[in-house]
Amino acid sequence: MSGLTMPLSIALPLVAATLLAVVRRPARPRRIVLLGTLGLLLAHHVVLLVAVADGAVLATRIGGWPGGVAITFVLDTFSALMLVATSLLALVCVWFAIAAGEDERSMFAPLVLVLVAGVAGVLLTGDLFNLFVFLEVTLMPSYALMSMSSDRARFAVGRVFVSISLLTSTVFLIAVGLVYGIVGTVDLASLAGAAADSPPLAAAGAVLLAALAVKSALVPVHGWLAETYPHASPGVTALFSGLHTKLGIYAIYRLYSLLYGGEARFAWIAVGVCVLTMAVGVLAAFGQRSMRSILSFHMISQNGYIALGAVLAAPAGAAAGIFYLMHHMVAKASLFLSAGAVEHRYGTGRLASFGGLARREPLVALAFIVPALSLAGMPPFSGFLAKYVLVRAAIGQGQYIAAVAAVAVGALTLASMIKIWQSVFIAKPKDDDRHEAPQLTAAPVGLVAPALSLAAVTVILGLTGDWLLALCEQAGRGLADYTAYAEAVVD
Amino acid sequence: MSAAVAVGILVAGGVFLILQRGLVRIALGFILLGHAANVVLLASGGMSTREPPLVGDGVPADTADPLPQAFVLTAIVITFGITVYLFALARAEGDDDDTEADP
Amino acid sequence: MLLFAPLIALAVFALLVPVTYRRFGRDTGWLLAAGFTVLAVVLALQLPASGDGEVVTASWSWMPSIDVALRLRLDALALLFSLIVLGVGALVMAYCARYFSRGRHVWLYTLMTVFALAMLLLVLADDVIVLFIGWELTTLCSFFLIGGVRSGAAGPALRALLVTASGGLALFAGLILLSVHSGTTRLSAILDDEAWKSDSPLATTAAALVIVGAMAKSAQLPLHFWLPGAMAASTPVSAYLHAASMVKGGIYVLMRFSPLFAENPLWTWGLITVGLATALFGALLALEQHDLKALLAYSTMSQLGFLVAMIGVGTPEALAAAALHTLAHALFKATLFMLVGIIDRQAGSRDIRELGGLRRVMPVTATLTALAGMSLAGLPPMIGFVSKETMFAAFHDLPGPAWAGPVALALTVAAASLTFAYGLRIFTGAFIGPTVQRRLHEPSLLFLAPAAVAAAGGLALGVGVHTLNPLIRRVAVDTREQFAAVDLHLWHGWTPELALSAVTFAAGTALFLARDPVDRFLQRPRRRLDGEAAFTACYDATMRAGARLGSLTQRSSPAAHLPVPILALAAIAAAYALHPIAVPAPPRPTTFGVDWVPVTVLAVTVAGAATRRSRLGAVILVGLTGFVIGLWFLLAGAPDLAITQVLFEVITVVVAVLVLRGLPRRFHSASRRRTAVTAGIAVGAGIAAAAATFAFTGRRERSPVADYLLHETGPQTGGSNVVNTILVEFRALDTLGEIAVLVAAGLGTAAIMDLVAVRGAERTAASEQAEVPDSALIVDVVRRALTPVLVVLSVYLLLRGHHEPGGGFTAGLVGGCGLALVHLSRPAASRTPLPPIQTPLLAAGLLVATGTGLAALAAAEPFLRPAHGHVDLAGAHVSLSSSLVFDLGVYLVVLGMVAAALNRLGHYGVEAASGAPRDAPERAGAGERGDA
Repeated sequence: MSGLTMPLSIALPLVAATLLAVVRRPARPRRIVLLGTLGLLLAHHVVLLVAVADGAVLATRIGGWPGGVAITFVLDTFSALMLVATSLLALVCVWFAIAAGEDERSMFAPLVLVLVAGVAGVLLTGDLFNLFVFLEVTLMPSYALMSMSSDRARFAVGRVFVSISLLTSTVFLIAVGLVYGIVGTVDLASLAGAAADSPPLAAAGAVLLAALAVKSALVPVHGWLAETYPHASPGVTALFSGLHTKLGIYAIYRLYSLLYGGEARFAWIAVGVCVLTMAVGVLAAFGQRSMRSILSFHMISQNGYIALGAVLAAPAGAAAGIFYLMHHMVAKASLFLSAGAVEHRYGTGRLASFGGLARREPLVALAFIVPALSLAGMPPFSGFLAKYVLVRAAIGQGQYIAAVAAVAVGALTLASMIKIWQSVFIAKPKDDDRHEAPQLTAAPVGLVAPALSLAAVTVILGLTGDWLLALCEQAGRGLADYTAYAEAVVD
Repeated sequence: MSAAVAVGILVAGGVFLILQRGLVRIALGFILLGHAANVVLLASGGMSTREPPLVGDGVPADTADPLPQAFVLTAIVITFGITVYLFALARAEGDDDDTEADP
Repeated sequence: MLLFAPLIALAVFALLVPVTYRRFGRDTGWLLAAGFTVLAVVLALQLPASGDGEVVTASWSWMPSIDVALRLRLDALALLFSLIVLGVGALVMAYCARYFSRGRHVWLYTLMTVFALAMLLLVLADDVIVLFIGWELTTLCSFFLIGGVRSGAAGPALRALLVTASGGLALFAGLILLSVHSGTTRLSAILDDEAWKSDSPLATTAAALVIVGAMAKSAQLPLHFWLPGAMAASTPVSAYLHAASMVKGGIYVLMRFSPLFAENPLWTWGLITVGLATALFGALLALEQHDLKALLAYSTMSQLGFLVAMIGVGTPEALAAAALHTLAHALFKATLFMLVGIIDRQAGSRDIRELGGLRRVMPVTATLTALAGMSLAGLPPMIGFVSKETMFAAFHDLPGPAWAGPVALALTVAAASLTFAYGLRIFTGAFIGPTVQRRLHEPSLLFLAPAAVAAAGGLALGVGVHTLNPLIRRVAVDTREQFAAVDLHLWHGWTPELALSAVTFAAGTALFLARDPVDRFLQRPRRRLDGEAAFTACYDATMRAGARLGSLTQRSSPAAHLPVPILALAAIAAAYALHPIAVPAPPRPTTFGVDWVPVTVLAVTVAGAATRRSRLGAVILVGLTGFVIGLWFLLAGAPDLAITQVLFEVITVVVAVLVLRGLPRRFHSASRRRTAVTAGIAVGAGIAAAAATFAFTGRRERSPVADYLLHETGPQTGGSNVVNTILVEFRALDTLGEIAVLVAAGLGTAAIMDLVAVRGAERTAASEQAEVPDSALIVDVVRRALTPVLVVLSVYLLLRGHHEPGGGFTAGLVGGCGLALVHLSRPAASRTPLPPIQTPLLAAGLLVATGTGLAALAAAEPFLRPAHGHVDLAGAHVSLSSSLVFDLGVYLVVLGMVAAALNRLGHYGVEAASGAPRDAPERAGAGERGDA
């Protein structure tokens, strides 16, 4: 298969966005176009994944210019996996947003489509400056999506999100400039392994990674995430959880492995950051009092797990981390969507205002507890496998502190998931509750179905995840050895 | 050296402004930081050759590196889009752009 | 197949429960009991072969990429535990059928069946990961059965879950440690790995982790407190999970890993200490209980302590004793739980202070309780008698110092005496004495039958204990790889153990008879070892710490979040300053003297912009800075950039002024301290950025890419403006991305202002248009003259961009300036928005640009591959290029973006400035916000 069609991943949603920017009513055709585009993208990405499942690398030089001059789109197993996962999440989260009526907000559909195009660009591009551009493409619509859906303090949350992202982008851009200043190219394939021999490039790379660490909300630059995510609308939070910080982590995997190529001199700093992130995130999550605050801090904690995979030596570490990433995207979005279904129905996410929802909303309860246990690493869900491969990789590489942290943090993760479960779904219903109104029946299936479908994915992955493990191993090998990547770009 | 000094000035001013309260000031700070990034990008091509990259009959030896210029153009446009959005955000709340509830 | 069959069957049972429950109601319990029985019998057929040492294995490749397979292995140890799981399971299921009232118990039956499946998986697994999956599943089932779905038992369920699951994590770490270093997850291979049979730190760590896991699961001190709480579950659950099987999971794992660790001192002494302490402590606590169920819970804990201590002793004889006592305990404890449940159901209480004399009205129940109680107390001819004596005997061979054996034995005898005493209490408390409730009667025989079978089993296996010899001896071989010198018989002759038994009975009886002083002793106030309170305190403290940790970053102001990344970057810079790296020297000078002019101006304008308190002043100074940057670009040989920069600056200032109209004139004040800190951070960041720029730029020759672009632009594209050619041809993708950003910014601005418009609609409805003085006459004149010029200029710039400075951006901006003039020159009062052209412009532009790329794709060329052609137009030879079409897209988007800014912000500005009431109710909170 040739890589010519790869740019469709950005062109298709952009074209659909232009259409939906102009034609906004009626709702039905708009929703059909929106979901149809996302569905097509998912199908396209599955086809791409199949093409590179064996470790092949596809590349297409945009504009047909020679290698080194053209911006190249490169697809290896890792990026293909991410493409499939992100487009699956986009589809499911938008499905939820439609069910919850969030898509009625002005410009929701075109903004989401631009975001999706940007995500594909970030994952496909093999050019550092172009990576910056596509990161901006993902960010700009997100600012608006975040602000226009914020529930609290008007736009305050949007401001934090915008300003931290802008700072990150600026730093990233400056670092891109430094890279070009040092080596005279921004073509990733020509940068493979370069930082190991060039201390200046290693320094510029450190700035790049620092910017991406902010984007991935790693401790100590994590605070913005937990402050902003819980206050967007439920569908948007779920969408962001699946896309944004994960792009940061994707870029960390890509650049860390590509630039430094296994150079491990400063790995201890990175391990320390990951361990801190896991611990701080989970502790803070345990202290929160509303569903999505807990979930957001958990995301920080889990990002620490995922980043650990990048720090451990490839391919084993990367393979484990990538599997964790895949699992986490699905489980976390499922949790945000089930919490979102509750919030959408009852207008609040505060733990104290709920009780006994398990009886009234058994489907929501199921859609919550399955990914919750999965997130806590319990079998037979995907989270167990993810935790296993990661801890195994850590122990196998003698990173005992990281392994202990990864295991111990699991206990607190479980504790805070159970905290939500018991106070929202099990505890005695509170008296003053509006949701005790008798006319309320169980949430419509349409609102729960997106969360349930992702919950089903985490079960299926937990029981029959071998194919994904194999793919992740392939992806990990790709990160350990960039020969095929470089060859694909040059040919 | 001159580029480094310019970057230093712009970054210092920009950072100072983005740490203030009003969103307009924050937006102005990001404009300055954007300039700083652009100066870095341009410097990354080397400031020793400075003829405009307009080629007709041959390429003079001291023609500037055109690639960073293209980068900067892209960055300027992106900064513009974001600036407009930031101003909209500052305006969206009506009559004040304070980001902190109490002094 | 023999091994997969029961697992599959149990899974099928679990799936069928909802169906059968609809048809049979609570009698589903009987069906399940029958199913369990069949499975137990099928496995029991394997007994003779297992006794001879035959091992059945099965394997199904499950996750080959991580070498985890569904490996199963049935040896004598696994068979013993499997039979307990299935046998007791069958009894409890049958018991459920009458214990529960008619009603919805689907959930419970399903979970109990899943639990049996998990437990079977745990004991049959020959893969450490599969074993652990079984282990965790039992924990989860236990959680949901205790109180996962009921509000009443949330606390106990939480404690049970967190304690056992945390222990599980320790086990998990231990298992991974074992499998990583042995290079396989196959349990039997790990057990053959000689490396673990030493007391190396690694082996000791692994042993410790396994021990912690088992302690949590089997309720050993100090992790015992969850078990009494777990009695909040219904009685069948307590009988099955928390007496007979789940709590034996820890025992099973300890026995399973005995081949590796039995010689390890930590294992030996750790287990003996913990086990005996738990046995003694649990028995003491049992003795002070009045609630029969609580009493049984502590009793379970105590008995598990015996087992743990036995495994610690680690001789083949000790492990044989442990195996036998596991079986004995499962039988008598499940029976006792079931009987207590019956008493509770019939008499409405299980408090021995409220019961009494039930033997007259419930003689069968009394007899069965007596039988099970005798087994518990270790009286002949029950199996409990034999198992206890075997345990006594095992202490004879305790390794280690000479005093250890006698001390351990003494403690065991003490605990056994206490056991005897509370056993007597159970029986006398419920059945002896005056009959309080005379109208009670025996429950139906069906209700009693399961307990009767179990009690009879305890008797039969006591009398016929020698039939267990092959199995028990083989268990010892499985766990210690040695033959155990045990010969199980009810009557061993006059042995020292018999004497110890006699001592036990005597001491126990004495304790029972002296119950009043004993009670006073037990009930006296003392500092209690209260695990539950410790757990709660720990839980709450963690939650508080978490809340504090979270609140550190829960600030809604950007200024609270931005310094951290800046400081982190400064830290990186500082690290490099302390450990400098070598950089090459610049090949040529990069600084020209003329550079210092803009730099100096820059210093002034930036300093001014940063310190001005007037909004307008700051905006103007930032605008000036932009012009200086434009100058800088010009000096650096970038005329395109200079033009674009200046034009953007103009538009930005226009937009900023539009926005400022509605805002306070001056910025918010800040404290001196804050200003100082901020300035410090700013200067640090500036120095770091300057240093990085200085060190990493201008130190190499022109890059190969640059050379290619300079030399090939003409031949390849026909253009001569290299920068524009890069934007629309070489790196058109960057440009496509960037106009996507603009489109999103335009749409986003529209979306936000729509939101504001909705919110503000009511506010402005009644407001009157304020009179704005018409001072725009001059501008109006300028507009009339300039607008056509600007339109023509912008089209011209678009067309020539390929060759001279210009192109889509510049052209679009010039057009945008025209729009701005049109907009601003109208008198503010009559200023209506421009027609809503922004969205169509943005969409059309993006569509055109993307379409250009797709057109190439349609021709099987790479995305965005430009196509060049020539047409003869009115005799003139005009060269056309698809990149011009692409640039047209850029042009449209830029124009649309400017229109969006003017329209949305400008229009709104009029609305707000025209007198929206500031104290509208919805903004009541605004009063506290500074200087508005």
